[in-house]
Amino acid sequence: MEPIESLRLLKGINIDYYTAAHTARQNGKFIAYVNAFTPVELLYAMDFIPVYPENHAVILGARKLSEEVIHAAEGMGYSRDLCSYALCDLGSIRTGKSPTMGLPKPDLLLVSNSQCGTLTKWFEVLSRLYGAPMVLIDVPQSGDGQKDSAAERYVRRQLEELVSILEDITGRPLDEGRFRECIHLSRRASELWSRVLETGMHCPAPMTVFDQFIAMAPIVAQRGTKVAVDFYETLLEELQGRVERGISAVGDERFRLYWDNLPIWPELRRLSRFLEAQGAALVVSLYTWAWATLAVGEEDPFGDWAHQYLYTANLHMERRIEQYEAFARHYKLDGFLYHSNRSCKMFSQDIPEVRRAVTQRTGIPGTVLEADHNDPHLYSVETLEVQIRTFLEMLGAKEVH
Amino acid sequence: MSAHAPWHIFEQTLHDPWTLAAEWKQQTGGPVIGHLLPDVPEELIHAAGALPIALTGAGVRAARAHALIPGYTCSHAMGVLERALTGQLEILDGMVIPYVCDTTRNLHHIWRRAFPKMWCEFLRLPKRLEHPGARDYLKEEFSRMREALCRHTHRAATDEALEESFCLYNKSRAKLREAYERHRKDPSTWSIRRLHALVASAQCAPRDLHLQWMERLPWNTEADEASHCRVPLYVRGKIWDPPELPELLDGLGFVVVGDEMVTGYRSVGEDVHLGGDPLEALVERHMRLIPYAGYHLSPREVVDGFLRRVEQSGAAGVLILDPKFCEAAGFDSPDLRQGLRRRGVPLLALETSDRGGAVGALRVRLEAFAEMLSQTVP
Ligand code: SF4
Ligand code: SF4
Repeated sequence: MEPIESLRLLKGINIDYYTAAHTARQNGKFIAYVNAFTPVELLYAMDFIPVYPENHAVILGARKLSEEVIHAAEGMGYSRDLCSYALCDLGSIRTGKSPTMGLPKPDLLLVSNSQCGTLTKWFEVLSRLYGAPMVLIDVPQSGDGQKDSAAERYVRRQLEELVSILEDITGRPLDEGRFRECIHLSRRASELWSRVLETGMHCPAPMTVFDQFIAMAPIVAQRGTKVAVDFYETLLEELQGRVERGISAVGDERFRLYWDNLPIWPELRRLSRFLEAQGAALVVSLYTWAWATLAVGEEDPFGDWAHQYLYTANLHMERRIEQYEAFARHYKLDGFLYHSNRSCKMFSQDIPEVRRAVTQRTGIPGTVLEADHNDPHLYSVETLEVQIRTFLEMLGAKEVH
Repeated sequence: MSAHAPWHIFEQTLHDPWTLAAEWKQQTGGPVIGHLLPDVPEELIHAAGALPIALTGAGVRAARAHALIPGYTCSHAMGVLERALTGQLEILDGMVIPYVCDTTRNLHHIWRRAFPKMWCEFLRLPKRLEHPGARDYLKEEFSRMREALCRHTHRAATDEALEESFCLYNKSRAKLREAYERHRKDPSTWSIRRLHALVASAQCAPRDLHLQWMERLPWNTEADEASHCRVPLYVRGKIWDPPELPELLDGLGFVVVGDEMVTGYRSVGEDVHLGGDPLEALVERHMRLIPYAGYHLSPREVVDGFLRRVEQSGAAGVLILDPKFCEAAGFDSPDLRQGLRRRGVPLLALETSDRGGAVGALRVRLEAFAEMLSQTVP
């Protein structure tokens, strides 16, 4: 298969990013540990480098180091049932095992519970460990997307207060011009990322979700910088060229599939090859789309963030089902692969119901893969392959009839 | 009347609150509203003319629930879902699920789709307890919940009605705190098992009736000699899961001098102040409660506050019950344990859930713990 050349740029981008993080202090910058649904544009504007402990855990998983560090976390007293990102992070701190030389110590821990409740508790542990201040952006979501003006006020207030917290740490006032510039760059990167994801609508798809998982690093960690914009401009151009030339990501594309939930990072390469060999392309995933929706406007960024965190982050079940229906139409899906991710309860517990409803409404079947995003001890990749093969055979039989 | 007679009603109610709820419903014509623990204000439901019943899932063997929620869900949520799917909750006219953790957030969605005809509200509890905005938000959320309840019950939960409910619940809590004192003085009669049944059944019986039952208890018993040899224990956990735990602890000679259970002292330790704005009073009580693991405090206070409470209790040892598959408890636990170890406080941490049927294994570990503690207690 013809590889996507632009993806090669990521190695340098990631090395530069981690080098910048490790040398932050020498360069007058600060480190904030964050998660999704935190205002990274504000951080960049105020000389903070946002660092995602989750991303560090991904690297550990992808480099097959997770078993070892999770084992160390167990030795610290953490149950293996807890989120395996957190276990990897804590175990890596304990053992010092890390392909990125670990993470630099944080000046601030900034977390939003819009994503999940686990991160709050995980960051509390880190805050105690490093003696670093922690700010929780508390987002009391309605559970069903109802408008809640009291919650909007509460979330907005917390976001606005963040400015003075950051100013206190850096000793510098917020530069409005830089803030606007970061917001602008973030919007541009998000637009480009959306276009990148939309290329998956073409048959055959020029890029799979496996590639998206790799390519999403800058939109996650460097939203609000020129690095992200430049990378997605290059990537989009290449993908558009592939579309024009009819280049398929998987050769003979027989099946177009949806991927639900986080990737199984330790098996990314293996499953990617396996699916490619079957002519199955993962063409869309809510997980990669989520990062396209986080940009805000210059007029009222705090209001926009409050809205996002309350109403568009983590779609509640009914909206999620509707979104999957739309994906099925736009991406001409043949099937859904649902990753029932054992140590991420937030994104997995409603899968049985989502699957039932989506199949009922679209007529498109789905299969549930029992695995984990970062702990290979909790699944067997051979079993997953057998299950996927059986599912594809079933889809293939449907195709013939 | 046997010595067991006045106690029996509490265990019976805990085991089967439905018969009583049906009788109550027939007599009053009011609706019955279930709520998941913790922190749904019972007084709001009561003032809206409904009977609040706290639902727990401990001890329930899940079968049908597996079709709706994966096996890596805590027994609390899974057990309640199982109860509903097997028709045990048919008496309910409504349900309130609080935002405690990701599991209850998901359970709410699942519930709405599985039981579309049942009225179900999600109580959006703020998590950042030390932030002033959390108080403002919670007051508005309680106000929203009050209106939603009233629309559902077709009754008005006026300020006066709320004040009356506060009085009733305060009275009940005061009596239950007295029961804790009795337990400490006379754990032979006021055993852990009985104390637990007493406190937990208050959350699922008509509260006025429960108060009447409590009047019949032997409040003036003298402590027997053996009571002095009991080992004072502090317990951290959510609910007694497996439900046999209190009895096991009785058998091993423990006395509970402090606990943080949501069906235990946490539910009775704080009253609602009377005479002010009722919703503010409810918020104020909420903020005074022993912080449950699902909330966020300044991270050091999570540990320091716990160690303070343990020290103040005078316990000789600590039992930590971490519900299996509970992220909130699971992340706190190692640092709490380390804090206890640094202070030289003996502890036993158990990951509990009745789903594995592990009572035998628990017994062995508890026996060893009791033996170790009995050597340290003078
Ligand atoms: S994997 Fe799931 S539980 Fe872990 S941090 Fe991400 S959303 Fe939270
Ligand atoms: S806080 Fe823990 S025990 Fe309670 S519902 Fe959530 S996961 Fe279950």
